[in-house]
This record gives sequence, structure tokens and C-alpha cells, in this order.
Amino acid sequence: MQLALVGLNHKTAPVEIRERLAFSSDALRSALASLVGREQVNEAIILSTCNRVEVVAESSDDRLIREFLCEFHQIPHDSISKHLYSFRNVDAIRHVFRVTASLDSMVVGEPQILGQVKEAYRIAADAGTVGMHLTALMNRAFAVAKRVRSETGISQSAVSVSYAAVELARKIFGDLSGKTVMIIGASKMGELAAKHLRRAGVSSVLVTNRTFERAVELAQVFEGAAVPFEHFADHMLGADIVITSTGAPHFIIGKNLAEQIIHRRKNRPMFFIDIAVPRDIDPGVNEIDNAFLYDIDDLQQVIDTNLKERLKESMRAEEIIDHEVESFCLKMKGREVVPTIIELRDSLEKLRRDEIERNRRHLKNLSPEQQAALDQITKAIVNKILHSPIEQLKQVAHDPQGADLADLIRKIFNIKPQ
Amino acid sequence: MHVVLLRLALGLYSLGFAHSVLTALKKKQTLFGPALAAMSVGFALHVASIAIRAVDVHYLPLTQRYEGFSFFGALATLGFLIAYAKYRIAPLSVFAFPLIFVMTFVANLFYDPSASIPPVLRSNWLYIHTPLVFLGYAALFFAFAAAIMYLIQERALKSKHPTRFYNWLPSLDICDDLAYKSLAIGFPLITLGIITGALWAQAVWGVWARDAKVLFSFLTWLVYMLLIFYRLIAGWRGRKAAYLYIVGFIGVLVTFLSANYFGGLHTF
Repeated sequence: MQLALVGLNHKTAPVEIRERLAFSSDALRSALASLVGREQVNEAIILSTCNRVEVVAESSDDRLIREFLCEFHQIPHDSISKHLYSFRNVDAIRHVFRVTASLDSMVVGEPQILGQVKEAYRIAADAGTVGMHLTALMNRAFAVAKRVRSETGISQSAVSVSYAAVELARKIFGDLSGKTVMIIGASKMGELAAKHLRRAGVSSVLVTNRTFERAVELAQVFEGAAVPFEHFADHMLGADIVITSTGAPHFIIGKNLAEQIIHRRKNRPMFFIDIAVPRDIDPGVNEIDNAFLYDIDDLQQVIDTNLKERLKESMRAEEIIDHEVESFCLKMKGREVVPTIIELRDSLEKLRRDEIERNRRHLKNLSPEQQAALDQITKAIVNKILHSPIEQLKQVAHDPQGADLADLIRKIFNIKPQ
Repeated sequence: MHVVLLRLALGLYSLGFAHSVLTALKKKQTLFGPALAAMSVGFALHVASIAIRAVDVHYLPLTQRYEGFSFFGALATLGFLIAYAKYRIAPLSVFAFPLIFVMTFVANLFYDPSASIPPVLRSNWLYIHTPLVFLGYAALFFAFAAAIMYLIQERALKSKHPTRFYNWLPSLDICDDLAYKSLAIGFPLITLGIITGALWAQAVWGVWARDAKVLFSFLTWLVYMLLIFYRLIAGWRGRKAAYLYIVGFIGVLVTFLSANYFGGLHTF
């Protein structure tokens, strides 16, 4: 199997270049067909996302892929060559594994990439441009990604403010269904956090704002209710999560108010998220039993810790990848026809010689002619035994079944890939 | 035969114990799958051991000291398996497995093959009073473990420094729920346990107040009573409630061990 991969990503190319080389989903089919139609390109998959374009092919020459990219997008090679990277064989396998396992992503461990790679594979399979080599490669890549996910913590923790808020809410309330979130003040970030909470299962949304119309507007977005700013404290009784982002110069929720509300709520816990600068909520609120207050710096701190944790975990992920690349290469080698024929011959020849050597003591009385004859006879036997398997292998050398037969013959004769 | 089974169960429980120690040391869940499997098989053997003993001696084996520990160990395992089936809280194992291991270990340590029932215990009350108390204790142990998890998780959330434990421990809501439900099961059981104990004592001795175990169990009962009372009246939960769960369980431990150290009527 010969693999070649050419691509570019957010690290090697600015968005102006990336968008020029991107493939729309409509263009993918024809692009795949045009690529595999070329001489010496047998199988191909194209992955095109906003952060990367990767073309992997069963081919011995990566220049063919570069040519294809330039021709298809009608861009001179010189203008993009410094943004492109090329990998062959082992390096290409490693790159595919790393991309699929989200180790090469902008946010390491983000989960979307696996789905995108799967989709790219599906499109290529539909277009008929994947054969046994890329199928084996991609199936292994998906398994490796799954293994990295389950054995390391790279996808575990939130790395954006909104997700951090959702995750913290889950750690306090467990299930978020049946919970109510109250948004005080209408900022973009508050809206985003509320949107994520809503998607995570929060049932109802209350919105309040100094200008009531804005509150009504925002309430419509979340199918929630607007409440007048003057009475927000009364409505806060029913809110489990409170997001504040007003432009107020002073605290609008003091410790006393929060204490009263928690008391009147019969100690049911509350989660305050203060993303306003200057802050809207007295930091002392965090000291109250059953109240949890996070301001924007606290959230950022959570994210920083999570990022550090991901970095540590990604080292462990790289070790898994190294190991997987090695075992995949070994397995692929075992499925190749020509090396199998050679190793089969070597192995039986060794067997023959070892047997003669072992019985040297009984054979020493033979004359040189007799010894030569013995050598001839044993050689002939070995050749006769090998004749049929080797013929069979040669016949299917260029078929997809060749790999299976090579695999089988290796098993029968107990030949390990070297 | 029942001893062999008990020892086998102990061997399997030791794997659970190893899981707890490693998890606490490495601050990362270690060997949970194998440990859970070992505990389940161990539990089956443990139950078989108790059943065989019961058939041998023709009564529920609770009278010897080792039988008591063994019975309690089996109840704790059952409690864990039920709680795990309902909540899927793996971290609970870190608390439960060592307890189960120690109880079963002590049972093995005190093993005494004689089947004689101490004369003072020859009463049908034995089969009512003791299981009630033991079941209650097992439930209160899980309330205690949940309260500890609550405090660790609450501290992580308040300090704003997420740790590995933070990701691994269940949410505050689940800790609270587990603690309260365990209390709701355990409290009636120990209440009935105390009442049956009182009736039994009345029948045998006529008086029962001058026993250390009786005194401590009453104090413990008051702590739990307080906890339930405030929960119903003022929705008490959170940190303060967690502390009371822990105080209550310390009371349980003192009660459990008191008979042998302070003397009194429960020493046999």
C-alpha cells in the first residue's frame, strides 16, 4: 500500500487561502472522480472543513495530488505551495490518525472533527473512490479516535465561557430539565450562555432589562417571559440560574438580597453567573451556603485549567497514536502480496536447512554425492509445496482479495511480518 | 464450606479495596470495572456462605460476633449494588469497598466454629432487632458517604479550581438526593431497631437505660431526627446538613463499637 496525503490547515494557511482551496459539498463528488481518474491514483478521500483541507490517496506520488488541487481550483502552485504539507506512507497514516482523534484541531479535543471525517469518508464511499486500503485506514482511524477519547481526557472539559457555565450548572444541579434561568441585562455573551443552557435542557427563561422592550425582544428568542427590571428580585425566587450582564456601575445583587432569596427558596441551590464588568453581584454571595457565584475571571480560570489539562492529556494521546501507527503498519505489511511471497520462501528454506543441520550427525556417513542429492531432493519438496500457494498469490496480487489471501497464507505458515 | 466461601468473598473484596486505595492515591478512577465485577461475584459467594451457615445451625447466623460482621458486610455490599444500579455513581465505591472489606476481614478474624447461642440472646427478638439495626446502619453509611462527596464537590465549586475529582464526582444534587434517600430509609429502620431493642430489654431485664450502647444510639437517633426535622421545615440541605450527616454517622460508629469498650448489657 502506498499512501500520499496533501493538505493545509489553520496553522499553515490563513483563511484567505483556506477558503480558496475548500471544496463545497456539491463539488466533492466531481473532485473525487477527477482525482481517482488520474493515472497512479487508485483511491481518494477529501476532507474539507473551515479549518482544513486534506486529500489522502492511495498513490505513490504526492505531486499528483498537488497538481490536482491547483488544477481543480485553478490556482498556480507557487502561490500555495508554502501553505501545503505533504506526507507519505507512515507519516500520512499518523497524520490521518491525529486529525481524526482531534489532536491537530484548533481547539485540541473538540469533538466535531470525528463526525466531519466520517462524513468525508461516507461521501467518498458513495462516489466509489475508496477501496480496501483507505477503508482499512479510515476504520482504524475511527477506532483510534474512539480509543483516544475514552482513554484520555482530551475532550472532557469545557474550553469556552458558555460551555464552562453549562458544565458548572450540571455539577450543581445534575439534570438541568425543570430548571429556570434568569437573564439580567442583555449582552451578547449573556445571551450566548443562556442559549447553551437552554440547549442543555433548562426549561424556562426569564429576561429582565432596564429597557423593557429589549427584554421582551430577547424573551421571544428563548420563548421565555420578560419581567420588569424594578421587580426582578421578586422573580428571582423562581430562578435557579441567574446570569447578569448589565452596565450598572454598582452591585445590583448584594449579599443580603441573595441570602434572603436563598432562605425564601428553602435553601434550594442557586448558581449566579456574573459576566458584567464592572461586576453586578457582590463576591460575598459565594460565601452563602447553597449559592455559587462565578464572575468572568472565575470562568476564565476554569477554562485555563481545563486547557492545561487537555494539553497534558494530549501527550498521552500522542503515545496512543504512535503505538497505533506502528501496529497498523505492521498489519498492512502482512496484507501485501509480494513481501508475503518472499517471506514465505525464506521461511520454508530456513526450515529445510535447520532440519538438515539438526540431523547432521546421522548424515555424516553419506558421500558428498549423496549429500548433494539430499539437498536437491529437499529443495524440490519445498518448491513443490510452495508452488501452488505462490501461484495463487501471484494471481490475486492486484485484486482486493489479495490481501485476505496473503493474510490467510501467513496464518497457515505462521509467518510474522518483519 | 461457609468459611471457604467467606474467605473467597474476602479475596474478591480485596480487589475492591485495592481499587479504592489506588483511586484515592492517583486521584483518578483506577480498576473500577474489574473491582465492580469482583464485588458482585464476592457478594454472591458471601450470600451463599451466610445461607449455608444458616442451614447448618438452623437459625439466622447473627449471634456470634463474626456472624454479625459478616452479615453487615453483606448488607453494605447489597446497599452499594442497589445505589450503583440507581445512580451509577462510581465514586461511591471509594467509600463503600473499604468498609465492606474491613467488615468481612474482621468477620474472618473473629471466626469461631462453635454454634452455641449465648443464653442471653436466645430469643426471637434477635431476628427482629439485629437485622433492623444493621440495615439502618448500612443505609446511614451511604448517607455519610454521600455527604462526604457533597463536601468535596462543594469545596471544588466554591474554590473555583476544578480538580480531577471535580470531574469525576457526581453533581451536588445527586449527592444530596442520595444522602437524603439513604436517611429516609435508614432512619425508620434504626427507630424500629431502638423500639424493638427496648421491648426486648424490657422482656429480659425489666430495665434497659444503664447501657452505653443504648445511650449512644439514642443520641445518634436525636441527631438524625434533627436533620429530618429541619429538612422538612426549612429545606435544610447543603454544607450544614452534610456536617450533620457526618456527625450522625460518627454517632453510629461510636454506638456500634461502644459495647466492647464501655461495657454494659450489650457485651456478650
